[in-house]
Amino acid sequence: MKRKLVVKDRERCIGCYSCMYACTRSWHNIIGIEKSAMRVKNYPGIEGAFSVRVCQACIDPECAEACPTGALKPSKRGYGVDLEKEKCIHCMKCVRACSANALQWDEETRMPLPCLHCGICVMYCPTNVLEMQEVMINVQNA
Amino acid sequence: MYRMLEIDLSTGETKVKDISGLFSKFIGGTGVLTYLALRELSSQLDPLSPQAPIFLGIGPFNSYFPSASKTVAIFKSPLTGDLGESHAGGRLAMAIFASGFHVVKITGKAEKPLYLSIDNEKVNLVPCRSLWGRSALSVERILREKEDNRKGKKSILRIGPAGERLSPIASVTVDSSRHFGRLGLGAIFGSKNLKAVVISGNRYETIQNKKDYLSLYNELFKDLAYSENTYKYRDLGTSANVLPLSKINSLPTRNFSQGFFESAERISGEYFAENFLAQQISCAHCPIGCIHIATLRELFADPHMYKTIKVSYDHELIYSVGSNLSIANAADVLKLLQFIERQGWDAISIGVVLAWATEAFQRGVISISDTGGLALSFGDSQTYLKVLEKIASGENEFYKDLEKGVYHCAQKYGAQDLAMHFNKNEAPGYMTGPDAFVGYAVGVRHSHLDCAGYSIDQKFLGRQQDIEKEVKMMYEESLWRMVTNSLVTCLFARGSYTPNVVEKGLRLLGYDVDLQWLTKTSRIIHGMKYLLKEKLGFDFEKLELPSKLTKIYTGRGMMSTVDFKERVKVYAKLVSQDMYLAKEALNQQL
Repeated sequence: MKRKLVVKDRERCIGCYSCMYACTRSWHNIIGIEKSAMRVKNYPGIEGAFSVRVCQACIDPECAEACPTGALKPSKRGYGVDLEKEKCIHCMKCVRACSANALQWDEETRMPLPCLHCGICVMYCPTNVLEMQEVMINVQNA
Repeated sequence: MYRMLEIDLSTGETKVKDISGLFSKFIGGTGVLTYLALRELSSQLDPLSPQAPIFLGIGPFNSYFPSASKTVAIFKSPLTGDLGESHAGGRLAMAIFASGFHVVKITGKAEKPLYLSIDNEKVNLVPCRSLWGRSALSVERILREKEDNRKGKKSILRIGPAGERLSPIASVTVDSSRHFGRLGLGAIFGSKNLKAVVISGNRYETIQNKKDYLSLYNELFKDLAYSENTYKYRDLGTSANVLPLSKINSLPTRNFSQGFFESAERISGEYFAENFLAQQISCAHCPIGCIHIATLRELFADPHMYKTIKVSYDHELIYSVGSNLSIANAADVLKLLQFIERQGWDAISIGVVLAWATEAFQRGVISISDTGGLALSFGDSQTYLKVLEKIASGENEFYKDLEKGVYHCAQKYGAQDLAMHFNKNEAPGYMTGPDAFVGYAVGVRHSHLDCAGYSIDQKFLGRQQDIEKEVKMMYEESLWRMVTNSLVTCLFARGSYTPNVVEKGLRLLGYDVDLQWLTKTSRIIHGMKYLLKEKLGFDFEKLELPSKLTKIYTGRGMMSTVDFKERVKVYAKLVSQDMYLAKEALNQQL
């Protein structure tokens, strides 16, 4: 059974960003958080209110639909998206199309940062905010 | 490469310097900043003049390893005239790293209020006259929204009105309720017309040797997130100390009149957790989550109009506006803390000032005409709130004086024996015995954080004293902190960052070091600090124990001046060897 990343219990988040460090480290081999495919957002003046944005693992992704070149395509795994970097024209339409505001953008390469649902962020969450959940895919969509 | 960004607020000019050489010699953080400060701070320098520099620095471990979450600030303290050093968490260390720098140096003075915006190498001086006068809390709300178009995570440093008024006990607030609290950095910001600093970026470093790096990272992460080493900080936080300290006569109560607080249970960590704790949060890249946020719901109009405030608490705050003012109502402690947060005072310092004022008033040194009709009484939180309001509005000379610190007040009004300060810095919340007090006196920043003497006292509770051994323990703890404060790891992570771990980590980052080098470098940094302090007028022989403390029972019984002086002497001797080493190293440097 395939699994996707979900936010299980947002209110437990302590805002340590260990998840974003883990994602960036694992997939880009760098120290930082700005290339993370998921994001913990904090709000001004509200101590302790965090919003955790993760790829919604759509079966019919809005971001891929908005991509004019087919660089961002529904993933072969059946949910979420894959990026073919060579085809990306840096138009950012994908990020704007994601209604959950979850698709992240790499300012440096000017390309989206699709989540691969690998679960590395889950491993580093000290308070179990995140979880990998089994994906049920209708055979018609598969 | 380690780089320093220099900004002159007078001219708007910026410079970038490669300071990798300094990092290889002095590790980073406090080591590098002390070296830089030693060349620029002098006894003639007015800390509130345009020339006075502010150094903010991180170290080689920041962003690389978990709980390396602190930033060091070094400046000349307007409170003591001595070395000003304060550390803060929040997102600042992460943001400085992401901006591509490790040290930021700010000098000059803006003509009109502005905030400094740093986004990678892009530096902007943004006029903000309409923010002048606003609380430290509201400035963050406004700037976080105003600067929201930037992509990288922002860290926001700002002062409240206390810093604008150049109060030498004003702090700089960092993100959510973290502070450069002690020794008056807020006044320096104010003197430069600098209301805030917003810093962010998207710079990064590539991981070398990923396998070894990950193995060390994971070892540290597991320990910090789940082990006993950090359990106390995650659970009740430092306020877990309130009850045990009171039990051993070590919780300063009513201006250090006694160490037992009869109502400790009503302001204990347990009580706060059960009744007010909303959640724990953490600094960026720290899985401990030690920041305890309380919510206080208050009825403001009948029958059902409520407001809710959120404010963080910990042991030092509970001591300074709780037991030391004899306030036994946790909700009142939170209300006072929120006022202090908005104004931007250091909570320890302002609490010690209020405690002194109360006792001085009761002794007749302060009169009712000074206080404008207010009778100061321990335990009277309503009046304390009014006092804070009067200080904030600068109602009369007396209230204006109160925010100049307890040393200043006692010099001017008297009751010097009641002024709880060490080298002019207001005392922190432990009266465990000689090691705590001697630690405040001899420490590089006159804080409980220099060598944790309170912890050594507790090890010697009920045992024969051993001056040489105790002082040696303080000294060695202080030395090791030269290393961790250079990395810059959080003190709450000190159980995980053992010498072996630090050595391994530094080697991974390309430092050619071993344990012997670490010890020697810690001594050089320690020595440089005292060379700097000496240059600014610090003298071990002038250190004094507030005389009130010789008349009260501490955790380890009565204190004596003779014993205090003896311990200071032993410490000074150890330090003199480090100063010699530092001089030697500096000569080679030249």
